[in-house]
Amino acid sequence: MSDATANGIADTAATRKPRRDIGINKRYAAERRFKAYGIIAIAIGLLFLVALLWSIFSKGYTAFWQTEIRVPITFSEQVLGTPQQANESQTKLLMANYPKLAREGLIKELGIDPDDKKAVSAASGLISSGTRVTLRNIVMNDLSVIGTTQDVWLYASSELDSAMKGQYDLSVPENRRPISDLQLQYIDKLKAAGNLEQRFNTGLFTFGASSRAETAGVGVAIIGSLYMMLIVLALALPIGVAASIYLEEFAPKNKFTDLIEVNINNLAAVPSIVFGLLGLAVFINWFHLPRSAPLVGGLVLTLMTLPTIIIATRAALRAVPPSIRWAALGLGASKNQTIFHHVLPLAAPGILTGTIIGLAQALGETAPLLLIGMVAFVADYPATPMEPATALPVQIYMWANEAERAFVERTSGAIIILLGFLAIMNVTAIFLRRRFERRW
Amino acid sequence: MMENLQASFNKGPSVDSSKPIKMKTKDVTVHYGQKQALNGITLNIPENQVTALIGPSGCGKSTYLRCLNRMNDTIDSAKVAGEILLDGEDVYDPDIDVVELRARVGMVFQKPNPFPKSIYDNVAYGPKIHGLAHSKQELDEVVHTSLRRAGLYKEVHDRLDEPGTGLSGGQQQRLCIARAIAVSPEVILMDEPCSALDPIATATVEELIDELRENYTIVIVTHSMQQAARVSQLTAMFHLGDLAEVGPTEKMFSNPGDKRTQDYITGRFG
Repeated sequence: MSDATANGIADTAATRKPRRDIGINKRYAAERRFKAYGIIAIAIGLLFLVALLWSIFSKGYTAFWQTEIRVPITFSEQVLGTPQQANESQTKLLMANYPKLAREGLIKELGIDPDDKKAVSAASGLISSGTRVTLRNIVMNDLSVIGTTQDVWLYASSELDSAMKGQYDLSVPENRRPISDLQLQYIDKLKAAGNLEQRFNTGLFTFGASSRAETAGVGVAIIGSLYMMLIVLALALPIGVAASIYLEEFAPKNKFTDLIEVNINNLAAVPSIVFGLLGLAVFINWFHLPRSAPLVGGLVLTLMTLPTIIIATRAALRAVPPSIRWAALGLGASKNQTIFHHVLPLAAPGILTGTIIGLAQALGETAPLLLIGMVAFVADYPATPMEPATALPVQIYMWANEAERAFVERTSGAIIILLGFLAIMNVTAIFLRRRFERRW
Repeated sequence: MMENLQASFNKGPSVDSSKPIKMKTKDVTVHYGQKQALNGITLNIPENQVTALIGPSGCGKSTYLRCLNRMNDTIDSAKVAGEILLDGEDVYDPDIDVVELRARVGMVFQKPNPFPKSIYDNVAYGPKIHGLAHSKQELDEVVHTSLRRAGLYKEVHDRLDEPGTGLSGGQQQRLCIARAIAVSPEVILMDEPCSALDPIATATVEELIDELRENYTIVIVTHSMQQAARVSQLTAMFHLGDLAEVGPTEKMFSNPGDKRTQDYITGRFG
C-alpha cells in the first residue's frame, strides 16, 4: 500500500507541470499587511485609553483620601449654654460659635499663646470651616457631651489637604504659596504627635454641593442620577419595548410606518442638547414642572433613550429565527402567544443589553440637564424627584469650573465614581446577557 | 431506479379508495405579489392516508401545503384564492378561526425547530395553550403519550427536563412530530421532514409516518421519490405551479400517465 502511494507520488512529481503563478505570495502579503494595520489601529486605541485612564486616575485617586486632624475639643457651657437651656430651646445650640471651640482646642494642642494673633490665625487656617457642621452634629446628637472634653477628628482645610498630598510646590517663597512656614511647622508637630492622618473620604460620597472642597461631595448628584435612571427605566423600557413589538410584529408595512421608522432612526442621532431645549419648552414652560428636578431630567433622558432602546429591541426581535415563530404558529398559538411565549424571551438578552447601553448613555449625559436647570448648587438631599438635585456628570462639569487645587482632584475623583457606575452597568449587561442567552 | 421504486411499494400499503375525503381543494391559486405560484390546484386528500406531494424545486408543492393550514397568512405578499375545505368547511371562511384551524391541522417543518425549552415543555406547549389538559397528571399523560407515539419516549424518558435543542437531528424532528400530535390534530402537514436527516434517522421517521396514518391524515412534501413510494398511498405530482398528475402511489410509479411525471421519476429532470 505504502509502496503504491510512494510510486504514485513519484509519478506525479515526475510528470508535474510547471506551477502557475496565481499570485499566492501577493495575496499572503496583502493579508499580512492588513493584519499589521489592524494591530496598529488597536494599539493606538489602547494607547489613548491608557493615557485617558492614567490621567484621570493619577489625578483623581487622592480625592478618596481626606486629611483630618485630631483635636481635643472642650464643649464648654460658656459657648454652648447648659444642657437645660438646650432642652428648652435649640436656637443657642444651632447658632453657637463652633469654630471657636475648634480653634481653642487646636491652640491648646499646639501650645500656642492665645494672644499671639498671627499664630492663632495661622493655626485656625489649618482647620476646615466645615467643622461647624461636624461639631454641631456631635452636640445635637448627644447633649451630654456639653461640659466635657472629647478627641474629635476634624477635616483639615483644603490648603493643608493639598499640601499633604504634595499638590503645592513648597520650595517657592512663602508669600507665593497658600500655606505659610509657620503652618508647615504646625503640620510637622501634629504629624509627629499622630494627630494628623489621611483617612478614607466618605464625605466625597455623602456630601452635597459646597464651596469648600473638603466638604463638597457627590451625594446629591448620585441621588439625582439615581432618581433619573429609575424614571428612565420605568418609562423608556415599557414604552420602547411596546413600540418595537408593535412596529416589528403588528404594524402594517406602509408609507406611514416607514416614515415612523425613518424618524426613530433620525431621533437617535439628534444632538442631546436639542432634547434639553425640548424639555425646557415642554416640561418646564408648558407643564410647569419644577426646575432642576430629577423628574424633568428623567423625562428628558427618557425621550433621548427611547430611540436607542427601540432600535436595539427591534434588532433583537428580528434576530429571533423565523422557524421559532412558525413552530408556535403551526401549533395554533395566536400571534400574541407566539410573541410573548417565544419571541420575546428569546429577544430578552438583546433588549436588556440595549436598555442598559441606553441607560449608561443617559447616565453620562450632561448637555440636556444644563438646559433644564440641573446645574445648580444643591447642598441638601432631595426627598422626592420633584425637589432640586444635580446629576453626576453635571457635578463633574461644575467642579471642573472651580479654580482651587482641591477641586481638580475632586473632579477626577467624581469622574472615577461615574466610570465606576458605568462599569457596573456594563458588567450587569454582560451578566444578564449570559444569564438569559439560549442557544437554538 | 424503476426497479427500486417497484420494490419499495411492493412492501408498502396500497391506497384504499373507500376512505372518505378529509380535505378538498378546488381551484386553489396563490400569488406572491405579482408572481403566480399555484395555478388552480384541485386535489382531494383522503382520510387516514399519506398523501405525498412530489415535484421539482419551485413547483409549488410547499406553497400548496402551507395553504392547508393557512401558514401563508404569515407572508404579507401571499394572496390565496379558491376553495379549501376541511370536512366540508372552507378554511378561509371568516367564521373559521385560524388558531382553531391550526390546532386541527398541525405542521412539521423541513428543519427541526424545537423551542429552546425542555423536551417536556416542547410537547406540553400546545396542550397548554389550547387548554387540553386540566391537571398536571393529564398534561404528563398527554406528553408521555405523544412522545410514545412519536417513538421518542424510550430515548428521552429519563431526561424530559433537558433542552429539546440538545437532541440529535432525527430526535429533534421526532420531537417536533410529538409536539404536533400532542394537540390531537386531524391532519398533519409535513414539509420535507427528512431532508435534514441522515438515512437512519430518515428510516425511523418514515416508519413513524406509516404508523401515524392509523390516527391522522398526513400530507407530506418530499424530494425523495423513494420516500414517496415507501410512505404514501396517494401521490400528487406538481410541476411549475400545476398539478401534473395525481393517483395511487403504486400506479404513479409503475405506470405514470403524464409525460412530466414519467420524466421526473425516471430522473430525466428534477
